[in-house]
Amino acid sequence: MKIILTPSKRLACAAGMSVVLILPSQASAHYIPAEGEPVQVHGTVMTTWRSASPVDEYEFWQIPGTSMGGDAWPVSQGVSLDEVSVMAAKRFDQNTFVKLGVSTHDGSDGHQSVGIEHASLGFVCCDSKGPWVVEAGRMTAAFSPELLAHRSASEFTEPSLIADVFFGRHFHDQGLRVWLHETAGWSAGAEVWQGKAFPATDDSDGGAWDAFARYAFSTGRIHADVGVWHYRAQATSRADHRYGGGHQHTPVAAPGEVATIFPDVRYTGDVDLTGVHAGSSVRIGAESTLGIKGAWAQLNMEGVLHDSGSREADIVADQYAVWLQPYLTLHNHTVSLRAERLVADNTLTGAAAATLGEGAGLLSEDGHTPERFSLSWLYQWRPQVEFRAEYISDQTLPEEQDRFAVGVVWQGSLLSGHAGH
Amino acid sequence: MFAVFRINVAVFFAVTLLLSGCQTESQTFVDDAGARESAFDWRVPASVPLPYEPDDNPMTEEKFQLGRHLFYDARLSVNGEISCASCHEQARAFSDGQQHPSGATGEVHPRNSQSLTNAAYFNNLTWGNPALATIEQQVMLPLFGESPIEHGINEDNFEQILMSIQADETYLRLYAEAFPEQDEPLLGELAWDNSVKAIASFVRGMTSFDSAFDRGEMSDAAKRGEALFNSERLECFHCHDGYNFSDATIDRGVTFLEPLFHNTGLYNIDGMGAYPDPNTGRHEVTGNPDHMGQFRTPSLRNVAVTAPYNHDGSVPTLDGVIRNYAAGGRVIASGEHAGDGRMNPFKDGVLVSFQITDAEVDDLVAFLESLTDDAFLTDPRFSDPWR
Repeated sequence: MKIILTPSKRLACAAGMSVVLILPSQASAHYIPAEGEPVQVHGTVMTTWRSASPVDEYEFWQIPGTSMGGDAWPVSQGVSLDEVSVMAAKRFDQNTFVKLGVSTHDGSDGHQSVGIEHASLGFVCCDSKGPWVVEAGRMTAAFSPELLAHRSASEFTEPSLIADVFFGRHFHDQGLRVWLHETAGWSAGAEVWQGKAFPATDDSDGGAWDAFARYAFSTGRIHADVGVWHYRAQATSRADHRYGGGHQHTPVAAPGEVATIFPDVRYTGDVDLTGVHAGSSVRIGAESTLGIKGAWAQLNMEGVLHDSGSREADIVADQYAVWLQPYLTLHNHTVSLRAERLVADNTLTGAAAATLGEGAGLLSEDGHTPERFSLSWLYQWRPQVEFRAEYISDQTLPEEQDRFAVGVVWQGSLLSGHAGH
Repeated sequence: MFAVFRINVAVFFAVTLLLSGCQTESQTFVDDAGARESAFDWRVPASVPLPYEPDDNPMTEEKFQLGRHLFYDARLSVNGEISCASCHEQARAFSDGQQHPSGATGEVHPRNSQSLTNAAYFNNLTWGNPALATIEQQVMLPLFGESPIEHGINEDNFEQILMSIQADETYLRLYAEAFPEQDEPLLGELAWDNSVKAIASFVRGMTSFDSAFDRGEMSDAAKRGEALFNSERLECFHCHDGYNFSDATIDRGVTFLEPLFHNTGLYNIDGMGAYPDPNTGRHEVTGNPDHMGQFRTPSLRNVAVTAPYNHDGSVPTLDGVIRNYAAGGRVIASGEHAGDGRMNPFKDGVLVSFQITDAEVDDLVAFLESLTDDAFLTDPRFSDPWR
């Protein structure tokens, strides 16, 4: 059984047209254009209003007990342009295709930057339909569904804790991927990375690799999928580049406010992540689907924390994060609940352990284990336009916060005559 | 609805716990390898790491108290007139308010007396000697040094000075308490070794972390000054960083600290970057021309009571120090030290000129004044025990 989801199918899924919700996101980043198909150019715009940010202005977003980084910026209060992305793909001949994509990334103070997410060349072997595919260049990782999709393809405006804490929200890197592509329900492969994506670094000792396998099947009204992956990274003097790294700049606070310098604690060592994900759905009516999906990821860090002042401390961290998400789709409406929990078990050893642990955010608060509960409602108003509302009970920080979000997503083909949805 | 959902969540989480070795709550175990352990009450807040203690001179209260008596005892000088406290007064955070101190023989020291505040946290003692890494080594210089002469203790008088110490019953008790493992702690060379260790222990114990800044009780002007201090415009924090406001700070959490010295463009007497002899800083010791005019960053704790400033006490006020930095160096228009320090080729790269208003200077001074630990300046623990 071969499952290839086109962008049109992806939108159909989002509209609740009886296809499981987890798979469209997989297709978005790893769609392989078919032979003879015209150039596909897909665009997405997502904007959201939120009642609050998890942290105050001039505060650093650091979930206690974790080592965060990458692009995991806290969401902003008020209106924010969460995502603008354009993705193009073209099959040149029987075996060769190329993908190009740019997207906005969050930044400090709500400012965003535009980055190249895809610039890759692919080769389909051994005939035009595979099953083996080799891709090289700048790509999104394929090993975990957490990393495949932008927020616009998720039922929630905020990425999961697995994505934000363990991978710095996005994963785009230069690398090479060899995989068995969606053949008889199976996808499996391996990727090697230069190390530009958190939690790796791209120096001579850095880099990363991963291996993954997943299986999806459908029988009548039921669909299910399950996957497993392992990722290993090496990091040398890895900074939390959201606030630190390189030359330290002091935040400029408004009169009467206090802005502090970020404690630029670095990490050198190994990072191992293992994850499983699964989903299941059943069609309970002509236009209604009931489903559940979830993921679990285990992180192990073993290395050294250090700073510019020659402080060092050994660290061994075992952390896991899980989320569970039941959902119900009725006609053009989808209601989803997501529960998340993150457990950190860290051991810091050395004379500077307390100082560096505090600076790195790796000290757990007594009696506090991060959790988050989210409730979302999606309304697919038009094939290309979706409205969403969300309630989040955020207990990831010691101070619990409830916040609300409403937003709109537009996504569709940017080439005339190919909207076709 | 949420209740049913949370039951399902609990079941799911229970499964994941099995997968994750049954760790159910977040925890972080910190093993600081004894970094907070000491036989001495350092009286520093939990947020500040403890300083190193030499293996051959671990801190004890008894040595601290013996050192306190010796620190204030003028008998430790060639003429009975000079004690450590002569140039290190408690009310001035153990500096002396003079541009240049004078020794027992009247010889003038070319350097300004440094504050001893948090001396335990410096990786290098004195203004410009990268080889002087322990307080014990430093204490030897004023006691026995000949260039310049400070206390003036030498081969001709050390026995007589020692005899005066040995004759004091207070010292007999204090030495016995400080060095209980020794049968004769006041005998011969061992007595001098013990004396140096005791004085070093007293100086090492001079910790100061109870200023308005530490207590979060700064004035609005001081808060504005803090923002300026930490701004990229002024760049003060690059050298005066951390809890001790100096990049020459070392503690038990630091495995190694590269000696850091900076040329701040205070002189340029030959247009080639020269500083006036004998105050050429690190260059005096290394002979390396590139080290001309490099001095260690002093702590800013209690800096408001330690005027005059810079290594030679040539700047009378904090206002003047700030304005020199604002200019990117000091210009001396005439006299034997005339020259444009701004153009000193050995000046540290971080020292560039910046614009600052008079009001901002006042705010910055207010911030520096908020670093004064009044309790430290009057604490009987550090006062003269002979009074």
